[in-house]
Amino acid sequence: MLKSKTFMKKTRSGGVMKIVREHYLRDDIWCGSEICTECKQESPVLQRDPSIESNLCSYPHYVIPDTNVVLHQIDVLEDPVIRNVIILQTVLQEVRHRSAPVYKRLKDIIHEQEKHFYTFTNEHHRETFIEREPGESANDRNDRAIRVAAKWYGQHLEKAESEADALKVVLLTNDLGNKQKAEESSLLVYRCEEYIKSLIGNPELVDRLALSNDDKHDITSSKVLFPEHLPLSRIQAGIKSGTFLQGTFRASRDNYLEATVFVQGEGEDSTEVLIQGLQNLNRAVYQDVVAVQLYPRNQWLAPSSVMLQDEGAAKDDNEEDKEEEDEEKSVTEAARKPTGKVVGIIKRNWRPFCGMLNLSQIKESTRHLFTPADRRIPRIRIETRQAATLAGQRIMVAIDGWPKHSRYPNGHFVRSLGNAGDKETEQMVLLLEHDVPHQAFSQAVLSSLPKMPWAITPEDMVRREDLRHLSVCSVDPPGCTDIDDALHCRELDNGNVEVGVHIADVSHFIRPCNAMDKEAANRGTTVYLCGKRIDMVPELLSSNLCSLRSNVERLAFSCIWEMNHKAEIIKTRFTKTVINSKASLTYAEAQMRIDDTTKNDDITKSLRGLNKLAKVLKRQRIEKGALTLSSLEVRFHIDSETHDPIDLQTKELMETNSMVEEFMLLANISVAQKIYDEFPDCAMLRKHPAPPPSNYDILLKAAKSKDVEIHTDSAKALADSLDMARVDGFPYFNTLLRILATRCMMQAVYFCSGMDTDFHHYGLASAIYTHFTSPIRRYADIIVHRLLAVAIEADSTYPDLMDKQKQSALSTNLNYRHKMSQYAQRASVAFHTQLFFKSRGILNEEGFVLFVRKNAIIVLIPKFGLEGTVFFDAKHKATPKLVFDEEISGVSVPAPVVEPQAKKPKLDR
Amino acid sequence: MATVQVSEAEKVYILHGIRDDLRVDGRGCEDYRHMEIETDVVSNTDGSAKVTLGHTAVLVGIKADIGKPRPGVPNEGYLEFFVDCSANATPEFEGRGGEELGTELSNTLYKVFNNKHSVDLKSLCISAGEHCWVLYVDVLLLQCDGNLYDAISVAIKAALFNTKIPKVHISADEEGGKEIELSDDPYDCMRLDVENVPCIVTLCKVGHRHVVDVTLQEKACSVASLIISVTHTGTVTCTRKVGGGSLDPESIFEMTEAGKRVGKALHAPLMKLLQQEESLGKTRQKVGFLG
Repeated sequence: MLKSKTFMKKTRSGGVMKIVREHYLRDDIWCGSEICTECKQESPVLQRDPSIESNLCSYPHYVIPDTNVVLHQIDVLEDPVIRNVIILQTVLQEVRHRSAPVYKRLKDIIHEQEKHFYTFTNEHHRETFIEREPGESANDRNDRAIRVAAKWYGQHLEKAESEADALKVVLLTNDLGNKQKAEESSLLVYRCEEYIKSLIGNPELVDRLALSNDDKHDITSSKVLFPEHLPLSRIQAGIKSGTFLQGTFRASRDNYLEATVFVQGEGEDSTEVLIQGLQNLNRAVYQDVVAVQLYPRNQWLAPSSVMLQDEGAAKDDNEEDKEEEDEEKSVTEAARKPTGKVVGIIKRNWRPFCGMLNLSQIKESTRHLFTPADRRIPRIRIETRQAATLAGQRIMVAIDGWPKHSRYPNGHFVRSLGNAGDKETEQMVLLLEHDVPHQAFSQAVLSSLPKMPWAITPEDMVRREDLRHLSVCSVDPPGCTDIDDALHCRELDNGNVEVGVHIADVSHFIRPCNAMDKEAANRGTTVYLCGKRIDMVPELLSSNLCSLRSNVERLAFSCIWEMNHKAEIIKTRFTKTVINSKASLTYAEAQMRIDDTTKNDDITKSLRGLNKLAKVLKRQRIEKGALTLSSLEVRFHIDSETHDPIDLQTKELMETNSMVEEFMLLANISVAQKIYDEFPDCAMLRKHPAPPPSNYDILLKAAKSKDVEIHTDSAKALADSLDMARVDGFPYFNTLLRILATRCMMQAVYFCSGMDTDFHHYGLASAIYTHFTSPIRRYADIIVHRLLAVAIEADSTYPDLMDKQKQSALSTNLNYRHKMSQYAQRASVAFHTQLFFKSRGILNEEGFVLFVRKNAIIVLIPKFGLEGTVFFDAKHKATPKLVFDEEISGVSVPAPVVEPQAKKPKLDR
Repeated sequence: MATVQVSEAEKVYILHGIRDDLRVDGRGCEDYRHMEIETDVVSNTDGSAKVTLGHTAVLVGIKADIGKPRPGVPNEGYLEFFVDCSANATPEFEGRGGEELGTELSNTLYKVFNNKHSVDLKSLCISAGEHCWVLYVDVLLLQCDGNLYDAISVAIKAALFNTKIPKVHISADEEGGKEIELSDDPYDCMRLDVENVPCIVTLCKVGHRHVVDVTLQEKACSVASLIISVTHTGTVTCTRKVGGGSLDPESIFEMTEAGKRVGKALHAPLMKLLQQEESLGKTRQKVGFLG
């Protein structure tokens, strides 16, 4: 039977379109129940005996949730207890329309066989299809469709079942009107909360319930704390007319009352709008897309220099006010930033957050505050009955909403990750919080791996240069199993030197567009955590077939230069090769060989040659203005049995480190030039933009405190003045400055050469740069390998490689993954540092003040690479009288006593 | 124009018949052939009607779209006409054969319908000077058996009656920026007042008399005809003479009077029929093109 569906739509150009769709009704849609004898279905989804026990429904029954129940209570539906659920097509479509993430989760549940979720296409069933009536809103029509379908099911199952204990269907809805109408047509209907609470033996399910609107009222006082959000139509009109700006909300890590909204302008011109105060933040959460309204220029403020952590207790919605002390408004004109307030939310970007539960002081209270691990996320109020068990665990919580009279957003418990402080738990938190894809590789990915045992075939040999006779060796940190680079150096007959950099030929194994390629492109990079590595490609490749281990034949992509003794390149060539590394050395071993004058074998000679050239290269580079920056990197000695850190040391740099680095840089630059010459439109390059002068403020202020002058006009000037910046009797000052300088820098990013004009790499003082040397752990390198292979006609191209839009999208993902992996790495180090201190007790170490805030100082302890905040106004202590001088904030003074005490609170969080 | 060949003997026969007020198919001089009307036949238009008159068949579809009012009349919407002479109607229309006739027809339709006396153009205005509804009236000739004008005008009137224009409202923000918002209820729409929409009556001078609703054979015997558009009150809103022959003033007067009479008599049953059909609502069995 044919019906037509008609609806009106506004087109983008402002016209109105009438759209008519044909809609076919059929009578061969089955109910999906095992007990049904009427329907000719092959494998019914719904079980004959839906074993779920409820106080409300003592009979066996199936559950039909309505759209809002699915949207809000998806966490409950995901629970293994809930089975035998009928998802109506109407519900599925509405969910899809309203929330893509929930839709995806729902689809996942439906596909899971254990869950016995059945999709009933009621919209196409002859008896359950209904047409919208005049005067009926779309929502009312859908509610009616749900009721009609539920009614049909009831009657249908009654017919099928002759036994006494007939199956029934229970409709779940939170809509009072809908419930009433359903009751009128004698359906079994319950509110979702009622039903879940009635389930016998599953108390933890109740915690997963999201709070519905009526519940929210009794939680909070009636006092309205926040201004109302504007409706979307007003926001859109405002953005169009320019009164509002649209941007991404970025909460400050240091001050919960402050945030910036990043407004993407046309091209390069984007601005940041400062938002201060709870009222102005108006319930925006980190990463939301919001609309802001700018204040007039005379009300603009400067970013505050106070550190504020939200310490407010659960109950007090009023006490907070006093924290919002009046800022001194006498800020200098220059420091003022565009300031505004959030008027509406365009898109929430809520995800489940990891964190800890703060127990409420009131005993037997079921409402508790949850503190997310990410300081930029506000604390969330949740309701749980298992608070005692959850205390001390890392849990995940999802936000349900943020009513305007509530100080905190309301949320619900999603799942527990394990005990806080456990390494596995903490690692999971790190990975989840930094959005690192860490699932095991899927079968599809693994099936694209080469078959073992793998060997180099004669065909490979024909197409590749045989360099197995060369004395190639690799130099890496100790314990490295994914060796992606190896080097060689030999004297040529004409007096010149031949230097080769051999990179694992990963693109030979990972072919474009297969499952493994897509997975690697998504992961973007291998993430190194302390004691754990999350691979970008399966281990067979990363630690075996691609790893250039010693004394095995491996495929390589080589970059070979002919140089004279002044390290000037005479000839460069790129070629696919087969190599056989003669030794895998650590930095220390390589250093020993170079220093040991008694050794004179090929490898040692080769290393010495490389070392000599590297020094020349480095000098040349520094003369050109490359920066030597510093950041503290800490290594842990990990106990082999308990995997606890037993000692830590800051990373030592040896000559050989810089030797390998120099040649990698050289190879990267040579390759970048080659692929750019060959593909000016779609070369994947890496740039490092020069920082805007204002970024250097912290560095300049810090230097000024010791009467040292730093020039920041160019990279060269900066490098030179950093070299000159020395203070007698304070040898660490220079390193401190370099650490600060690192923080002034911009992020280096991948980009597609066709989409940008500025290629300069500021830090390396190179006109062009890319990543070529670590294809095992970075996806960008794989793309560069493919481009280079096409350029030297060693491989064929494919459409996506030459598509600059796709390349550009890919580089955006790579940049994001790269950034997140660095954050995850740092967080992992920080966690291990804390583990290390857990057993140490109080230590006395020398520390340095990095920054001064109005009520706190930020202190660095170089020995542990540890940075933390020390508040002046500690609890229970009188606040010392302090005068804050805006001008020299960021002064560096050696602090006489700084207890690592400051770190302890961090541990407890 | 679609024509048939008629022999001299046939012509005489037809002429004599008309002289005695008895036409070949048995009708009197002021009688119409059997007429069938069905509205709402094309679902993706906003209003549509199909009219068959003897063997003449026309289909009219109306699409409403938002446009800018004409500069001279900022507070009125307007109508656009397009007549498509399908080669289905007659092989002569094949290729660009029907173009000339199409233009001629649509020019006449502009004159007859696109004025504020026929259609309430003010109700089509959304915001003066900025937005108004434009009704695109598309006429498709399915079969030609004479008297196209009358059939088309009846079909247009029926289609206008059937037209449902979605309701819109203008939301203005503080800055005066205007945004058109569309009601999401497909039943929430505006109807047009078609009371004053005229119908066209074509009178053909055959011999010394004049007849309405000519067949192609009768048309071949006529040298001139008069097109008159008449409202339900009998007001003549437009007249036009077509054909090569001449008409003396006296017969023009007579023909106009006859046209008024016939036109007035045409409106009443038409409106009754349309309202009757409308009242059936969704229960009405659709006939469509195959019925």
